[in-house]
Amino acid sequence: MAEPATLENKVEERIKTHEEKQEWWWIAEKRRSRRLDYLRKAVWKKGALGGNYAPGIKLDLEGPTLFTDMWKRNHTDPIMLRRAKALAHVLDNIPIFITDQAQLVGYMGSLPHTLAWRVDGASIVNEEAYNEPGIHEEPQAESLKTVAELNAYWAGQTAIDKVARILDPEDAVKFLSGAIGWGAPTSAYGYSAKNYEYFMTGERAFEDIIDEIDANIEKAEEKTIGTPGPDILPLYDRIQNWEAMKIVLEAGIRYANRYARLARIVAENFESDPKRKEELLRVAETCERVPAKTPRNLQESLQYDFFVQIIARHEAHEGAWPSRPDYYHGPYYDKDVNIEKNITREEALDLIGEFMIRTYEVGGFGPRWAREGLQGITGTWVWTIGGVKPDGSDACNDMTIALMQAARLVRVANPTLSFRWHPKVSDEVMREIFECNRQGLGYPNLRNDPILVANAMHWHGHPIEEARLWMNQACLSPCPPTKHGQQPMRMASATANCAKIVEYALHNGYDHVVNMQMGPKTGDARKFTDFEQLFEAWVKQMEWIFNTLVRTVNLGRFKDPEFFGRPFLSAISERSVESGLDVVSPVGDRGNSWITAFTFVENIDSLAAVKKLVFDDKKYTMDQLITALEANWEGYEEMRLDFVKGAPKWGNDDDYVDDIMLRCLRECARHSKVIKDPSGNNWPILPENVSGNIHYANIVNALPNGRRLGDALYDGGISPGPGLDKKGPTAVLKSCAKIDHITHGRAFLLNQRLSPTQLAGEKGYQLWKAYVKTWADLGIDHIQFNVVSDETLYAAQRDPEKYSEVIVRVAGYSAHFVDISRKTQDNIIQRTVQGLG
Amino acid sequence: MKCTECGHQAESGSFRYLYNARIDASVSLRQCPSCQEWLAVDELKSEVRQKVRPGEAPWGKSAGIEGLAEDV
Repeated sequence: MAEPATLENKVEERIKTHEEKQEWWWIAEKRRSRRLDYLRKAVWKKGALGGNYAPGIKLDLEGPTLFTDMWKRNHTDPIMLRRAKALAHVLDNIPIFITDQAQLVGYMGSLPHTLAWRVDGASIVNEEAYNEPGIHEEPQAESLKTVAELNAYWAGQTAIDKVARILDPEDAVKFLSGAIGWGAPTSAYGYSAKNYEYFMTGERAFEDIIDEIDANIEKAEEKTIGTPGPDILPLYDRIQNWEAMKIVLEAGIRYANRYARLARIVAENFESDPKRKEELLRVAETCERVPAKTPRNLQESLQYDFFVQIIARHEAHEGAWPSRPDYYHGPYYDKDVNIEKNITREEALDLIGEFMIRTYEVGGFGPRWAREGLQGITGTWVWTIGGVKPDGSDACNDMTIALMQAARLVRVANPTLSFRWHPKVSDEVMREIFECNRQGLGYPNLRNDPILVANAMHWHGHPIEEARLWMNQACLSPCPPTKHGQQPMRMASATANCAKIVEYALHNGYDHVVNMQMGPKTGDARKFTDFEQLFEAWVKQMEWIFNTLVRTVNLGRFKDPEFFGRPFLSAISERSVESGLDVVSPVGDRGNSWITAFTFVENIDSLAAVKKLVFDDKKYTMDQLITALEANWEGYEEMRLDFVKGAPKWGNDDDYVDDIMLRCLRECARHSKVIKDPSGNNWPILPENVSGNIHYANIVNALPNGRRLGDALYDGGISPGPGLDKKGPTAVLKSCAKIDHITHGRAFLLNQRLSPTQLAGEKGYQLWKAYVKTWADLGIDHIQFNVVSDETLYAAQRDPEKYSEVIVRVAGYSAHFVDISRKTQDNIIQRTVQGLG
Repeated sequence: MKCTECGHQAESGSFRYLYNARIDASVSLRQCPSCQEWLAVDELKSEVRQKVRPGEAPWGKSAGIEGLAEDV
C-alpha cells in the first residue's frame, strides 16, 4: 500500500522538483524558518536597479537635518568635537524602530525604507540627491524644500568642496571629468577597515575604551599644567580629540539603550504573544549590555558588531563592510550551541541569517556613478571567512559552516562571503563552499591564503602574525585589522579606468570622449614604426593616470582630519585611543593602499592586436587603425572582426599575448613602488571591476581589441573577455598562473562561469574540487564562480518577477540578476561556460 | 538599413548604437531613431535581423561547453 502523502512528504517532493530545475530560491523559501522567511521578505531593497532606486525607497531627511542642526550650533568647536556632538545628536534623536520578529536592531535611516544621506560629504552628491526623481517623500515640495535648504547650507563646506579648493586646478578638472577614475577623496565615502583586534576580541567594549580615554586625558592634562615645552603643545588638540571620541562612545551606549527601552515598552505594554514578548525582553537585555560591555553570547556578539557598523555609518557613508564574522563571533557560537547548549543550531542559524538580512537592509544614497558601478547593491559588503589564525593553524569553525548555510537560506546579494582557502581546510567546509556556489549564489569566492599572506608581507611589510589576520577591506584587498595594519580609510578615487591607458597611448594623450588633452603627449601613434614606441607611450600614460589619482587620494587622506574628522572610527581604533590623533591621520598607520585597476585586460588584448596585425603581420597600418578607431569602427566591421579574431587573446595560454600581460604588470609593479601613500608605503594595483565595465562603456572610446564606444568592457580583473577564452578552463588558469600573484599586484580578480548540470551530485563536487586544487597549486590568488545556466538567465529576462531571486556574480560582488541593467545581464550571459574535467 | 518594425530607412550609422555583448560576433543592438525599438543588426551586412525583446538572444548561446569550446 502506498504511503499516505503527508504535508512533509509533499514539501520534500516539491523541493526535489525545484532541485531538478535548479530553482534554489524556492528551496530556500521552503527550508528556512518562518521568522527568516518573514524577515527576508520584509526587507526593503536599497540597491539600485540598473542605476535607479526601487519604487518606495525614499531619501532620509531626519538624520541630515539633526546632524546639520547640531553642527550649526557648535561652529566654534574643532572639527572632531563638532562632528562628535552632531553625531551624538543624531544617535540621541533619530527615530528608531524594531522590525516584527527581529532579534537584532539598528538602522542608519529613520524608517525601514529610507536611504541615509551623507549630507556633509560632497556638494555634487547633494545636488544629485535633490535632482534624483522618485526618492523624495510626499509631500514632495516640502521634502525638496528641506533638501534645498540643507544643500544651501553645505554648499562649499563639504569635505570634497574643501579638497577640491586646494587640489591642483588641472588635476581637479581631469579627475572630475570622470574619465580616468571615480570616487571622492574623503573618508566621508571611504572604505574603513576596522581595528577588530582592539574592540572585538571580548577584552573590551565601549565602557572599557572610555576608561582608557579618561586615563589618557588625565595623564595629558597633568602634563599641560607641568613644565612648559614643545612636547605638551600637541596635547591640547589631542585632549579635545579624546573628548570627541568619548562623546560618541557614550552616545553609542545611549543609542543602544533607546532600543532597549523601545523593546521593553513593546514587550510590557503591547505584545500579546508570550514567545515574542520573551524575545523582545531579550532584545532589551542585549541592548542594555552591548556595546557598553563585552558580549556574553552569540546574540550579544552579533548585536555589538552590528551597532558598531551602524554607528560608523551614521558617521560616514562607508562604502564597504570589512568583517570576519566566523573568527570573531565563532567562539560565542561554540559556547552557546556546543558547550552550554543555550540555543539550538536552528536558533543560531536564525540569528546568523538575520544578521545577514539586517546587513542587506543597510543603504545610503549614492551618486549615479556609484549606482551604475555597483548595480543591485549599496556597497561592497564582503565578509571574509575561513583562513588561518596568527599561528598558522586552521581558523575555520562551526560558525564558518553556519554562515554558509544561513547564506543559502536567506539568499541575499549583500553581504557576500569571501573564503580564505588554505591547504588545511576540511572536506566538510569545502562541500559547504561548493554547495553555495552550486546553488547559484556566486559566493563564497575563493582566496588563496598562503599567497595573500605573503603578498601582504611583500607589499606593505605586515608582520606574518598580522598578515594572517587579514580581511577584505573592500571587494578583494586584504587588510589586517590590527593597530598598525588597519587602514582607516581608503577612497574609491584611487580607482583607475585603465582602458584609458591604451586609448591615450593611441591618441597622444587626447580624450575624444571628454574632448580634452588628458594624458601627456606621447607622440602621434599614426607615426609609430614599431611596437616598442607604442609600449613606451603606454607606460607613460599608465604612470600619468596612477600619479594623478594617487596625488588626489593622498591629499584627501592627509587633509581628512582637518576637513572631515572621524571621532567614532578613532574611538574604536587602538592607535587613536592611545595617541589622541584622528585615526585617519597617517601617523602610525603602516599603510595598506591599492589602486583598483578597472578595465585592465583591454590593454593587453589591444596591445597584442596592434603588435600582431600592424607590426608583425603588417596587415594594417597604424594610420588605418587610428582612422577606424576614430570612426568607432563604423564602416570597418571586417577590419574590426580581424582585430578580434586575428590576434591572440588573453586567457588561452598563448605566450604571445600573455607575455604582454606580464610586461604591463611588471611596469605597474615597478611604478607601484615609486608612488607612495601618506605613510610612505607602496601603491600596488588590484585589477577588478565591480560593474565599472558597464559604467565606463560610454566613456571608453573604441579600442584595437575590437570594442566600440558603448560596448561593455570585459568583466574585469584578469578575467578573459567574454567568449574569448576558447581553449577551456585549464588554459585560463595557465595564463593567470604566469602572473606572480605576490609581486605583480595586490590581488587579481578571476571570474569563471561553470555549468550547473556538470556540477550536479558527488561527481560535480569532485570535478570542482579537483579544479580548485589546480587553481591553488598554480598560486592564483582569487577565483569566483557563476553557476547559472543560459536558460535560467534568459527566462529571468523574460519574466523578471518569477525569477526575482536569481543571483549572479558580477565582479567582486553578487547581485540579483533582475536588479542589473540589460547590458550587464547580457555581458554576464556571454561569459564562457567552462567545462571541467 | 531598414527597420523591420516601422520601415524607417536610413544609413546604419544613424541607428543609435547601443552595444554588442559578444565582441567576436558581428551582431550589435541598435535603436531605431523613428520607432525607438531595439534591433539586432548584422553589422557586416548592415541589415536588421530582428526586434530584440527581453530574454531574446541575438548572440545565441554562450561560448563554452554549452556552445563551442572544449578543454584541451
